[in-house]
Amino acid sequence: MLLTSFSFWLFLAITLIIYFIVPKKMQWVILLISSLVFLFYDNFHLSTVLQALFILLITYIGSQKIYEYQGTKKSKVYLLLSTLTILGLLVYLKYSNLFLVIFNHFCNLVHINHHFGMVYHNTLVGISYFSLIMISYLLDIYHGAHKPQKNIFKLALFMSYFPILTTGPFIRYENVNDELYDKHKFNYHNLCMGLLRIAWGLFKVLVISQRIAIFVDGVYGNYMQFNGFYIVLAAMFFVIQLYTNFSGSIDIIMGVSEIMGITLPENFQAPFFSKTITEFWRRWHITLGTFLKDYIFYPLMKSDFMQGLNRKAQKFLSKKQAKKIPLYFSMLIMWILIGIWHGGAFTYIIGSGLLQFIFIFLEDILTPVSQKINKRLGINTETFGYKLYQVIRTFMLFSFAMIFFRANSLKEAFGIIQNIFVWNPWILLDNTSLYLVGLDMLDFRVLIIALIVLFGVDYLSLKMNVREKLFAQNIVFRWTVIYLLLFAIIIFGCYGEGFNPATFIYRQF
Amino acid sequence: MEREEIFTRLNNVFRDVFDDDSITVNDNTTADDIEDWDSLEHINLIVAIEQEFGLKFNMHDVTTFKNVGEMVNVISNYLNK
Repeated sequence: MLLTSFSFWLFLAITLIIYFIVPKKMQWVILLISSLVFLFYDNFHLSTVLQALFILLITYIGSQKIYEYQGTKKSKVYLLLSTLTILGLLVYLKYSNLFLVIFNHFCNLVHINHHFGMVYHNTLVGISYFSLIMISYLLDIYHGAHKPQKNIFKLALFMSYFPILTTGPFIRYENVNDELYDKHKFNYHNLCMGLLRIAWGLFKVLVISQRIAIFVDGVYGNYMQFNGFYIVLAAMFFVIQLYTNFSGSIDIIMGVSEIMGITLPENFQAPFFSKTITEFWRRWHITLGTFLKDYIFYPLMKSDFMQGLNRKAQKFLSKKQAKKIPLYFSMLIMWILIGIWHGGAFTYIIGSGLLQFIFIFLEDILTPVSQKINKRLGINTETFGYKLYQVIRTFMLFSFAMIFFRANSLKEAFGIIQNIFVWNPWILLDNTSLYLVGLDMLDFRVLIIALIVLFGVDYLSLKMNVREKLFAQNIVFRWTVIYLLLFAIIIFGCYGEGFNPATFIYRQF
Repeated sequence: MEREEIFTRLNNVFRDVFDDDSITVNDNTTADDIEDWDSLEHINLIVAIEQEFGLKFNMHDVTTFKNVGEMVNVISNYLNK
C-alpha cells in the first residue's frame, strides 16, 4: 500500500475513526489490527505469514530467555541464537542475490563453468526495518535497558506498527513503548499539526520528487544521449528527488503518528545545509545512523581487536594518530554495511558506502591541512561566502556518489561519469535545451519555486518549530499559507498514470 | 571509591583524551561543553575510562550517559559492587 495511494488514505481514515471511538484501552489492539492489514495487504501468502510469525516468536522467546538468565553466559547464548537467526533469515531473503553474484564472479575468475541464476523470494514489506528493530530490542534487553514485553500481541504491534513499515524511521522500544500502548484522547491540536505535516510531506513527494524524477529518469534512462551539464543537473536533481521522496514520506508517517499521539524520532535535519559529509550524515537518515553507531560502530570500537590495533599502531605512530587506525577501520566496516543495507548491489555499496567513507576519511585527514592553508592565505572561514562554498561542495560530493546509487550497474555509472566531461553550460541558459528531457517551462518554474520554499522551510526548521510558529500566527496568515500548500499539492502534484505515483524510492529497502 | 576520587581520576582521563589541560569536569558537564566531544571521540573516551578504572561498561550505559554526573554514578556502582 503506497503512502500516496487512495487505498492508504481510505485505510488511514477508517483506522483513525475506529482508533478514537473504541474504548481507550482497546486502542493498541486497533493499531495492531491495522498494522496486520497493512503488512499483508499486498502480499498475503503462507510464506509471508510464516516469516512474520517466525521473527515474532524468535524475538518473544529469545527476549524472555535473555532476561531470565541475565548476567549469565546463557543469556549471551540466547542473545546470539535469536539475533543470528533473525539476521540469517533477513540475509537469506534479501541478500541471496548478492552472494550469488559474488559466487558467479568467483567462478568466472577461476574459469569454472558454472552460473547460478538469480533467485526471487516473496518477502514481507518492511522486513528489513522490523528485523533490525527486533534485533535492537533483544540487544537492549541483554544490556538491561528494559524488561521484555510479556504480551506477545503487544510485541507484535511494536514489530509491525504500520506507519514505519515502508520507510522507517528506526524506533527503539524504550522510546516508543509508552505511547504505543497508552490511551490517547483525541486532540484537535495534534490533528492540525499532524495534518499539516502530512500536507508538507505530500508537497515534497508529489510536487517536487515526482516532478524532478521525470528529468532524472529522462537523463539516466538515455545517458548515452546526454552529457556535460545535463548529467550534472540530473545528478543533483536525483539527490533532491531522493531527499524529497524519503523525507516527504517520513513527514507523512510522523504526521499520521502525531494524530494518534505517538511521537517518532526525527530522521532528517535540513541535511543540505551541512558543511561537510560528516555533518551531512548526522542530519540524513539520522535513525539509521544512530542505530549503526550504537549497535555496530561502538561495539566494534570497544572490541579487544580494535583496542589491540590501537596499541600496535602506537608503536609506529603518535598516540593521537594511533587512535585513528581503529576509528577508520570501524568506519570502513560500518560504511560497507550501510551500502549493503541500501540494497546489496555493488552500485549501492560504492555509492552509499565506500565513497561516503572515502569522503569522510579525506575530510578528517585534510582538515588540518586546509586549516593551515587558509591561515597562510588569510582566508576568513567564518564568512557567508566560505560557508556557502562548503555547503555547495558537500552537496556536489554527495550528488557525485549518488550517481552510483542511481545507476543500474557499475558499467552504467562509469559511462555516465565519462559523459560529464563535456563543456556545455549554455544548455542551462538557452530557451530550449532543458525542456527536451520531459519537463516543460511551466514544470521548471513550479520546480524552482517549490525548491525555494523547501530550502526556505528547511532553513527555518534549524532555528524554530515551523509548524508551531505558523499556528501562532493570526488566522488570515495561517490559513493563507495552509490553503496555498493544499492548492499547490492539488494543482501542481504529479500523480502519474492512473493516479498511482511511482513507487517510493526507499520502499525497496 | 569516593566520588571525589573518581572525579579526579576522570578529569585526568578527559584531559588526556581531548588533549586539553584546561578541562575540569563536574556533575553537569556534557558533550556540549567540550569542543571535541563528538560521537566519534565519545567512544575513545569510554575506552580510556574503562582502562583507567579497570571496568567494562555495557553498551546501553555507553549510549545513554546524559552528563558526567551519570557517568560517575555508573563508575561508582561498578567499583562498589
